[in-house]
Formats: sequence, C-alpha cells, structure tokens
Amino acid sequence: MSLLEIKDLSVSFGDGAKEVKAVQNASFSIDKGETVALVGESGSGKSVTALSVMKLLPYPLARHPSGSITFGGEELINADEARMRDLRGNRIAMIFQEPLTSLNPLHSIEKQISEVLFVHKFMDKAQAHARVIELLELVGLEEAIERLDALPHQFSGGQQQRVMIAMALANEPDLLIADEPTTAVDVTIQAQLLKLLNDLRDKLGMALLLITHDLGVVRKMADRVSIMNGGYIVEQGNVDDVFDNPQNPYTRRLLAAEPKGAPDAADANAPQLMSGENIKVWFPIKQGLMRRTVDHVKAVDGVTLSVRRGHTLGVVGESGSGKSTLARALLRLEYCTGGIVFDGERLQDLGEAAIRPLRKRMQIVFQDPFGSLSPRLSISQIVGEGLKVHGLGGNAEERRTLIAETLKEVGLEVDMMDRYPHEFSGGQRQRISIARALVLKPDFIVMDEPTSALDMSVQAQIVDLLRDLQKRHGLTYLFISHDLKVVRAVSHDIVVMRQGRIVEQGPAGEVFANPRQAYTRALMAAALEMKADDTGVVGT
Amino acid sequence: MPGQSSIFGLRLTPITQRRLANFRANKRGYWSLWLFLGLFVASLFAELIANDRPIMIGYEGTFYYPVFIDYPETTFGGFMETTTEYADPEVREMIEEKGWIVWPLIRFSYDTVNYELSVPAPAPPSELNLLGTDDQGRDVAARLIYGFRISVLFGLTLTVFSSIIGIASGAVQGFFGGLTDLFFQRFIEIWSGLPTLYLLIILASVVEPNFWWLLGLMLMFSWMALVGVVRAEFLRARNFDYVRAARALGVGNATIMYKHILPNAMVATVTFLPFILNGSITTLTALDFLGFGLPAGSPSLGELLNQGKANLQAPWLGLTAFAVLAVMLSLLIFVGEAVRDAFDPRKTFR
Repeated sequence: MSLLEIKDLSVSFGDGAKEVKAVQNASFSIDKGETVALVGESGSGKSVTALSVMKLLPYPLARHPSGSITFGGEELINADEARMRDLRGNRIAMIFQEPLTSLNPLHSIEKQISEVLFVHKFMDKAQAHARVIELLELVGLEEAIERLDALPHQFSGGQQQRVMIAMALANEPDLLIADEPTTAVDVTIQAQLLKLLNDLRDKLGMALLLITHDLGVVRKMADRVSIMNGGYIVEQGNVDDVFDNPQNPYTRRLLAAEPKGAPDAADANAPQLMSGENIKVWFPIKQGLMRRTVDHVKAVDGVTLSVRRGHTLGVVGESGSGKSTLARALLRLEYCTGGIVFDGERLQDLGEAAIRPLRKRMQIVFQDPFGSLSPRLSISQIVGEGLKVHGLGGNAEERRTLIAETLKEVGLEVDMMDRYPHEFSGGQRQRISIARALVLKPDFIVMDEPTSALDMSVQAQIVDLLRDLQKRHGLTYLFISHDLKVVRAVSHDIVVMRQGRIVEQGPAGEVFANPRQAYTRALMAAALEMKADDTGVVGT
Repeated sequence: MPGQSSIFGLRLTPITQRRLANFRANKRGYWSLWLFLGLFVASLFAELIANDRPIMIGYEGTFYYPVFIDYPETTFGGFMETTTEYADPEVREMIEEKGWIVWPLIRFSYDTVNYELSVPAPAPPSELNLLGTDDQGRDVAARLIYGFRISVLFGLTLTVFSSIIGIASGAVQGFFGGLTDLFFQRFIEIWSGLPTLYLLIILASVVEPNFWWLLGLMLMFSWMALVGVVRAEFLRARNFDYVRAARALGVGNATIMYKHILPNAMVATVTFLPFILNGSITTLTALDFLGFGLPAGSPSLGELLNQGKANLQAPWLGLTAFAVLAVMLSLLIFVGEAVRDAFDPRKTFR
C-alpha cells in the first residue's frame, strides 16, 4: 500500500465547448521515504496534478471527471473542506516556486512558521517558539534564530525558500509537495536547497513529490519519474531506466533536447570588433534633504573585455552580477564611464545622434520574449521597424520581401507576417526577436539570456539556430546567460562575473576544464552537477 | 486571413475584436450608446426639427428653402424688403393662397417668442408648446433640443482638446522623467490650485463670454485630468524590453513614444473619456446655472434649470431640465461603464 496513490485522475476546467482538459487519466504512486518527480514543459499539467492532491484548485470551475486520490488509505477525491484543512500543512505540505510571494510580507518569520503549529498542534506560545528554533536549525538557517522578528524581504531568496521549507515541515508531514522549488533561485543556491531537501527526506522519512521542468534536478533527486505532456503521463518508471532507455518518443525528444555541442572554431587572430575598458555603471544612492549622493550601487565596477569578429563571448554570472547592465552599457543604452570601442569607433565620444547610424550594426535580443515585442504591432511592423529607421531595404515592397526572407531564415513561416505577437509561443517570439535584430545585417548582437524563459526543448532549437546564423553571416555574439550548459554550447570565450566585477576570463574550453577561481569552481559544480558548495565561497 | 474581421475597411486585431465583444456584452452600455448617438445626431439637425421658418415652400411653381436661405417678403407678394416673418399669420395666409408650406415638427426656434399665448409666460404645456414655454414665452422643447446640442458639442470639444493636451504632457513627463517630470508636476500642482470660478467671473466682467471663450478657459484647467494616468503608463512602459529594443534599433524618442508606448497608454485614456465628457457637460451646465456661462439668450440646460428655480409655480421648467440632464448623464455613465468593461483584461464574461 503506497502512501499516495493516484489512479486514472482527470482534471478539467470549465465545461461544454470551453472545457480545458488539463490532466487526463494520470496514475502514479509514492511510497514513504521516496522521491517521485513529475516532469514536463509549461502547460503539461504537472502543477495541476499536484494541486489536486491538496484540493487547492478553483472548485467548482475545476472538476475531476474521473479518478481517485488515496492518501494513507483514505479517499480524498470527495473529501470535504474540513477534512482537507486537517490534512493540509499537517500531513501533506507544499512549497512553491516563488518564495517571496508565498510568504506574507507583513508578518515576521516566527509568526508565519508558528501559525501551522497553532492551527494543527494547538501549541502555546512557548512551545511554538522552541519548535520554530528547532525547525530553523533543521533547515540550516541558524543565523535566522537571532532574527525571528525579521520580515521576509530582509532575507535572501535562498533563505526565504528555507523559511518556506521550515513552515512546510513544521508538523512533520508524511508527504511534501515541492512545486518548482528551485526555479527562482540561482544555481549555487539551487544546489544547496536540493541537498537540504534530500537530507530532510531521509531524516524525516517523508515522501517527496517534486515538480520540475529541469531534467538535471530530476536525475539528481528522484527515485522514480513521471513524464507529462499535454495532460497525459506519457512515460513513468525508475529514473535510471527512463533516462537511459526512454520508450516514448516525447521522452526521447525531451532528453535529447539539452543544449549540446560546441561552437564552430573561429579564427583566433580575427580583429577585435567590440571592446570595453574599465567600464563602470554606478547608480547613485541619494539621501537626506538635499539628495546628496552618499554612496553608489556599483552594478558594473571596472570591467575590461573584448570580443573578436566572428567569436562568441559568453558572460556568466548569477542574478545581480551586473551582466545585463554591462551589455546595455556596451551598446550605450545605459550611461557608463570607461572606454568602448566598436570596430575602431570610440562610442564613448559620440552623441546619441552620431551613434544612430551605428545602431544597425549592433543589435540586442532580450530574455523575455513576451515583454520584448510591442503587443500592438504586427510581426512585419516589428521586424521592419529598424529598416524604416535606417532607410534600408528600398521601398515598401522590397522591404516586405526582405522581412519575409529573414523570417524564413529564423525558421518562421512567411504568412505569419501580418499576425500579432500574442498569437505566438515563447520560442516563436524569440525567433521574431532574433529576426528583428538580424534583418539589419548587423555585425554584433548581444544575446541577453535569450533562452532562459523558454522550455528546455525550445532552448536547444534556439541555440542551434544561433550557431547556424553565426556560421552563415559571420556574426559576433556577446552571449549572456546564467545557464552554463547553454553558454558552453555557444561560447568561444568566457567571462565569469560576480557583483559587478570579472572573477575569471579566458577561452571557454580552458575555463570549463580548469577553473582557477574558487567561485568559478563552485558555480560549475552547482550548475553542471548540482553539487552544493561547502567551501563557503557562495552565501545562502 | 482566418480569424480576422473588419469594420469600415479597417482590419481589426483580435484584441480589438475581443474588446468589441466585451462592449456588446454589456447590454445596458451598448444600448445607451446607440440611444445617445441617436439623440445627438438628431439634435445636430435641430434646425430641421424646431424652427420658426418652414423647411420648404412651394410658391407659384417655384421651391423655396427658408431654413437655409433668407427670402425678402416681396418674394411672396408682400411689401417689406426684410426677411419674411413666416410665423406671422398674415404672411402664412399670403403664401398658402398660391402655394404650400412644409413646417418643421416644432414651429419655434430656441429664440422664437410665442406672442399668441393666452396665459402669461411661463405657459404650461399645451398642444402648441408641448413642454410649455419659459418665462420669456420661448418654447421649452425647442430650447431643449438646441441646448442638448450645444452641451454635447461643448463637452465633446472640451474632451477632445483636453485629451490631446493631457496625453501629450503626460507622455512627455512620463517618458523623460527626472527633472522634466519634477518641474511639470510641481507646475500642475500650483496650476490646479487656481480657482476656476473666480477666473470665469473676472473674464465675464472683461469680455462677453461666448462658446470659444468658455472653451478656452475651461481647457486651461481641464487638461490635467488625464496627465496622471498617461504619465504613469509612460513611466512604466519606458523601461519595457520592447522600448529598449526599439532604442537599440536606433528609433528616435518621438517615434518610440508615438508608436510603441502610446497605443498601450490609450487603454487607460479611452476608459476615462466618457467620464471626462460627462464632467465637461456638467461644468457648462453649472456655469450657465450661475449665470457665468453662455451669453444671455443662448439655449442652455443650465439656464433652463435656473428658470425652474426662479419659477417654482411652473414645475415643467425644472422637471424637464432635470429629466434631460439625468438621462443624458446616465446614458454617458452607462457607456463609460461598458467601455471600462471592454478594456478590462481580467474581466471574464459568461
């Protein structure tokens, strides 16, 4: 008898013609002390499945046309709200993706953790206080014991997630559901959190239902895995069996989708196309009545780098390390000091109007494919805007042909030209962004996390496309990413940034094979092997 | 193209289609719009509905159009060289002897005094004066039609101009931010502190305020209504990735503001418009009521309200003015609600 047994579960939203079948006939089970992973891309129904265990879906809009959920031998599918309240946070607990929005910003962490103790264990204040301290020790947040009155925003993302875990574990649940628990945190923090979850599962003997889109996390954490696609569980089994010998074509595609390979060799003696010397972007912190500048936020603090023509320079670093700011500064989209030279022209000395003609030669592709396309312009207007501004591409008819060719080149259909951005998926939108940059025939393109917002299988396609375009047009990239796998697949050279400074730089192969700095080593271990750092170079 | 539809030859984006559908789903607002448009369009042709001149005269085989052209009395066999007084029974008989007359629905213009009243003005409703007359013997129904027209026209003009100024200044403040924003905002704070009513009283003592004077003076203060909303939208949008992308393409500031940000800021703006229109109409009515509005003798709802107050023994004056104002303002509010629904992205309709 398994702890949790889900049989033939279906979830639908709405009914009649508008019925959306989110999950169909899903079955799986979890035993005590076991980790089961639900894997799938966005929209595959994995979160809905998990939420239906807790009965946290928006009933009655959501329905279960079929299925049963048994937890410890008890049928939950028709359980009433009172019974579910008894179970939630007590025997079944859940942690969510975004720790800051899951914690109440107005309550101290002690109040939030002890709430579940008051509700389910009827503890008094002193007992709860003792238990909170015990829990914080358990999740490795000793430093928080002195700061029980602190509010959530006073902690870092990793610490917040630990507070969430402490809340979830307060009543020693039998089942912990973790919905993308590490998606919102940096890789080094992710490694630490995964290690913590693993340790806690062993220590408390609970079952862990892990929902994730990240196959690396699954391989590291899970005993068994269920792969979801379009609401169906397409394959399940032991992690090793599924990963080594996938049966379902979708699983095979998903596993093959990891960005792989290396960039084509580039001419090592090519001339420098873009270089920056001692670039600083400092944002003033103003205080007092006269708004005097008392200090600076040093987003980029003295960075020197250069990219050769036809090369890709990968810039890696965790969030807040200043990599995006650096890229914007190089394109003069952000005020900075220092020297920027683009193909022999000193950009720093040029005014806005003098730079404009150069803009067609240096372009940028942004991370968020939903925010970077103007929602009220059609695709041809978006792609064609640069042509119009620079008076390129002849008349309207010739411009349309050029736009069509570019769309084809990035793998889109020509008849998409007159449609609007919201009709496209994330991957297609990212291709449109690339087309917008490419249509100007630039020499230099900044890729600001172009793959981070995309599903895994789409990431690999975009990486392939970028490498292909580079080869065909001799493009030079500045490739920014926190994802080391992607960076490894495209970069000739690497720059590792931390807190606005360069920690380490060099040829990609060398830096990956033989990192010299402790921080780089910790970052690589966390990103590529999900190994938590224990030397203390990274914080929590 | 599948899924595309068009209106007046313009292709509609799916977003616009959804909004139109949402607007129609608010039945009350939808019908209010048609009703209001119907009333407004009808009032635009007020001269053909309520006039003391005939629409058309057939006289000795020739057609005459007195609504549009002045004819001296000699045309119809009279002695006077002046414009024909069609309301004069003798003139009427003279014409009908040798021809025929097509009269408008109401045989009074807004300034026609009915000299044939059998009771002292204000006269109660009768067959001839459907809503009675005011205290100078003028037909209330005719004055209502003209008054409605001038109110709505004034409101519309004021709304259009104050929107243009408000959007432009909000856009500049939000887009450039910094010192521009700071100074503009302080200026608006000081400017909005000026007492509008006293300025109008001063104006009234210097010139005789007409439609355009009033419009200009109201405009000086009403443009600030939209600045806040538009400024906020621009402040938000100027850091969006698509604006950055446009800047990276080398697009100039004016184009970015007009093509990339403005269409998104229009949602909030359009939602506000019916309510601004309402406010403008109310302002004009209030000024007329106080006597600082349109020149004496103009047809105006405010003036009618004032007469109603002064002549409580003639309840048809106050009641009529109240009913018309209440219906007009309610219709506009209902339309405004429907517009707000149409632009609300979170609204779900069953």
